[in-house]
Amino acid sequence: MLARDIMDRQFHTLHPDMTIQAAVQAFREATRQEGKKVFGMMVTDDHGHLVGMLSMYDILIYIQPKHAAIWGEMEELDPDRLFQEQLRRVWSVKVDDIMTAEVVTIHPDAHLLVIADIMIKKHIRRLPVVADRQVAGIVYVSDVFHQMLHTF
Amino acid sequence: MPKFQPRRVLTGIQVREAMRRQVVALEKGIAARDSVRHLIKYKINALLVTDSGVPCGVVSKTDLLALMYAGLHPQTPLGDMMTGPPVACFPDDLLDDGLEMMQSCGIHQLFVIGASREQVVGVLSYADIVGLLYRYCHACRQSTRGRSPADALHLPPELTVQDVMSTDVQFAYEADPLYTVIETLTAKSLGAILIYAADGRAVGVVSKTDLIQAWFHGVRPDAPAADVMSTPVQHCRQNAKLIEALQLMLLQDVQRLFVSAGTADQISGVLSLSDAARFRSGSCRACAAGRLLT
Repeated sequence: MLARDIMDRQFHTLHPDMTIQAAVQAFREATRQEGKKVFGMMVTDDHGHLVGMLSMYDILIYIQPKHAAIWGEMEELDPDRLFQEQLRRVWSVKVDDIMTAEVVTIHPDAHLLVIADIMIKKHIRRLPVVADRQVAGIVYVSDVFHQMLHTF
Repeated sequence: MPKFQPRRVLTGIQVREAMRRQVVALEKGIAARDSVRHLIKYKINALLVTDSGVPCGVVSKTDLLALMYAGLHPQTPLGDMMTGPPVACFPDDLLDDGLEMMQSCGIHQLFVIGASREQVVGVLSYADIVGLLYRYCHACRQSTRGRSPADALHLPPELTVQDVMSTDVQFAYEADPLYTVIETLTAKSLGAILIYAADGRAVGVVSKTDLIQAWFHGVRPDAPAADVMSTPVQHCRQNAKLIEALQLMLLQDVQRLFVSAGTADQISGVLSLSDAARFRSGSCRACAAGRLLT
């Protein structure tokens, strides 16, 4: 069983110049279209080359106030209102500014066991499948899991 | 003879209580430009550089600015521009000693190492120390928080921003090239500079973060300061309570506030997190005067 057999050919991508606001909307739209939760998307440039990955976690890390622990202790303040104000300041940040650029990719001919090995050792849940610099698909940990354990 | 030492709010507290456990480390082969994403995303001033997982150096915003100033290639690997080895302390060292070390080495973060040098367990920064100070004062029984003005009369006087601020405010004009801004920031070891319009109004701030973000987006160092400055100027009144100014900085994730005497465009001083951390006396006079002996 190879990457090309289990990869998802239906995938959504983001552009590096998109704002975070647009990326959040793209996450919402992708989740609706796929009928399952989309936690991370590939970022491709004008030529369709993979330049990075953006996960919900990347966005959360960025928008999280650095001293959030202290927010909880300020009972005289309204954290929700303050957070909304803070959000307005960061909406215009670009996908390129906070995406993960160091992306591990696999070839369509990578074997299922190799894919599982990479996912476990590098704590990765989704692996882009790239051939000749073009994105061919994406393999999710759930696909690997169900494929490996389908005899159970 | 017993040795008399002034006792401050942070006396006796260990580094582990103020340090942040999230350490951002990158391999030395990664390009300088790519490291900017990590600095922006995690809102940090410097990152640890590793060689096959072993810490070997540090790259700070200042180092990245030097790269921008010198016109070196953005793809320069971190290993070629890092300074090393990382300056480090232990989790059970005293916070006072850690602050002393940060000040004498002129650095804004201290890495915290475990039993072996290879194991970095945390990082200590001025922002986190001020966060601890703030929490201490916020919870203090002597605080005026939530008391009537009549009650508050019997409490020790609270420090105001002008007691701690620095009055030496560096500035540049909107039309000045970024080269000039970088030169001033580097010469004075500052994190940000005030930007004036030609008519003498304070209109914005250019911080090291603004500069490396601009460099990341391909802005040339001969561009005018007006192109990259953040507006409006984050400021507070000079007679505001210190604790309120600290709260504002912690809430807005800014490392300094400009201080105004009157209106917002007349700036008389600047209060930075590093000033506040070095001051160490909390936000009122109770701790400074009441507990002078250890």
